[in-house]
Amino acid sequence: MDTAPIIAVTDLRFAYGDIVAIDGVSLEIPPGRIGLVGANGAGKTTLLKILLGVLPAASGRVEVLGHRVATEQLEVRSRVGWMPESACLPPDQTAADFLGYAAELGGLPVRAARQRASDVLGLVGLHEERFRYIREFSTGMKQRTKLAQAIVHDPSLVLLDEPTAGLDPEGREEMLDLVTRLQDFGINAVISSHVLTDIERTCDWVIMLDGGKVLRSSPLTDLSTTDEVELEVIGDIEAVANRARAMGATVEVLGTVLHLRAPDGDAFEISRDAVADSDVSLRRLGARRTTLEDVFMGEEPA
Amino acid sequence: MTEGVVFDLGWRPHDGPRFGRSGARRALYKDGLRRVLGLRRRARSKVLPFTLMAIALLPALFFVAFGVIAGEFDPAATLFGHSEYFDLTGALVLIFTALACSELLIPDRVHGTLAVYASRPLTTGDYVAMRTASLATVVFGFLWLPHLVLFLGRAWVNGFASYLGDNWEVLWETALGSAVYFAAYAPLGFVVAAFSRRTSLAAGVYLGVITISSAAARGLLEAGFDFIGLFAFQHHPGYVKDWIMDSSTHRWIPADAGFDASVSLLMIIVVAVLSGVVVLARQRRAA
Repeated sequence: MDTAPIIAVTDLRFAYGDIVAIDGVSLEIPPGRIGLVGANGAGKTTLLKILLGVLPAASGRVEVLGHRVATEQLEVRSRVGWMPESACLPPDQTAADFLGYAAELGGLPVRAARQRASDVLGLVGLHEERFRYIREFSTGMKQRTKLAQAIVHDPSLVLLDEPTAGLDPEGREEMLDLVTRLQDFGINAVISSHVLTDIERTCDWVIMLDGGKVLRSSPLTDLSTTDEVELEVIGDIEAVANRARAMGATVEVLGTVLHLRAPDGDAFEISRDAVADSDVSLRRLGARRTTLEDVFMGEEPA
Repeated sequence: MTEGVVFDLGWRPHDGPRFGRSGARRALYKDGLRRVLGLRRRARSKVLPFTLMAIALLPALFFVAFGVIAGEFDPAATLFGHSEYFDLTGALVLIFTALACSELLIPDRVHGTLAVYASRPLTTGDYVAMRTASLATVVFGFLWLPHLVLFLGRAWVNGFASYLGDNWEVLWETALGSAVYFAAYAPLGFVVAAFSRRTSLAAGVYLGVITISSAAARGLLEAGFDFIGLFAFQHHPGYVKDWIMDSSTHRWIPADAGFDASVSLLMIIVVAVLSGVVVLARQRRAA
């Protein structure tokens, strides 16, 4: 499997007038599904537009799929798809016509473009509606058409900007399923979202942006796996905590839940012994998993 | 309620040829043709363009039919010749251009479709060039096809070889005249469309600017402001067309202001270049 970075950014800066949107960002992003998270105004969409060459970097170097964006913009664009957050669909065309056109714009021959338009519309669940005008589509159908136009020319990388925006829970689930499947198609994806659970669900690498700076860029597993043990007991939790402290553990008590870390021993063994010595019932014991939200809310700029 | 069923048909990567930028430009050009003519769109999108084209073509078809039935083709019996025919088609193509320029630029910007172009191997220059090429093709056909019909009809009745030998210059003169009308009318139409959000409003503003500029220029010319003759935008193409065809079908305002037809041609080129720069800058901002 090719593990060369699909995106390499070095000391990237960009500003809208006096407002700095991207401030000295350096990144190397591996193939796969990449989550780009951050609050509104963190610089997510700006970064995606720079990757696509829509916005020019004020300084720094940006490479996408091995091509420099500044000098090989068209090579980048022929292998990249883009699903913008805002509307991008012509209401006066049918989905099949527009998808065929979008595929031709990606450089595909006419016949292949039509075939792919039909295939991709089937893939996103719009095969039955392919000859309807886009103006007649619901929000969910439009979101799926937007995703379809982003992948119809078989790109190597697709940039998805808030793909679940405006969707009801069921539509959101379907969209996330589709996004998750992109890797099976050999399509790498950068998914920008401020909905952290969407990123947790779909991505295997996460980039956190805040104020135009990268807070973190790492595999999602590094974030969710900790060396802490979480246990929940029925009984005197303070007794368990004190016993664990006496055995050299660092302990944090949150109601009936206890987070335990053992710098010099096995946290599971200390938990077992502390519970056994304290005459309490164990309700739950396991490695503590943090959510993306825990990490994001507690993260300081690098 | 779910709105569709996701079928797992698998994924077939495209392993055939990719035409890159040239393919994208070709697709954009074809889309422009379809957009101008309302093809692959609702029926009402086709009504105006095809009605205008039919009105432009019908007199030529009538004259040819009349000539064929009569067995002779007297130029005097056709009411007007090639140069005068531009007076009819020139007015029609002004309306056509107003509608087409709006249709080519505004929906892409208003509906956000420029974002799709931004993710394809195209530059903003490609976009403007291909939209212009689409309109040029249709407008040229709009203007030149009636002349071709007239020419072939006359050649048919009068003997093809001899008529072609004696009148071949009509073909390139009318072709050149058609190109001049396009160059004079389309750039301003694109400028107005580049700054508008509603197609009908843009078409109205464009028609207003063109027609009022000529009326105002006539008034100011009579008040002694000769240089204003250069801003009678509707009159430049006709004046240049008469120059090309060595005819005189009208009192053109630039001529009354004392300008040669070559100056009108220069004005057309200058306005076209400036308009191109403005439209390009505007589209770059919009993208």
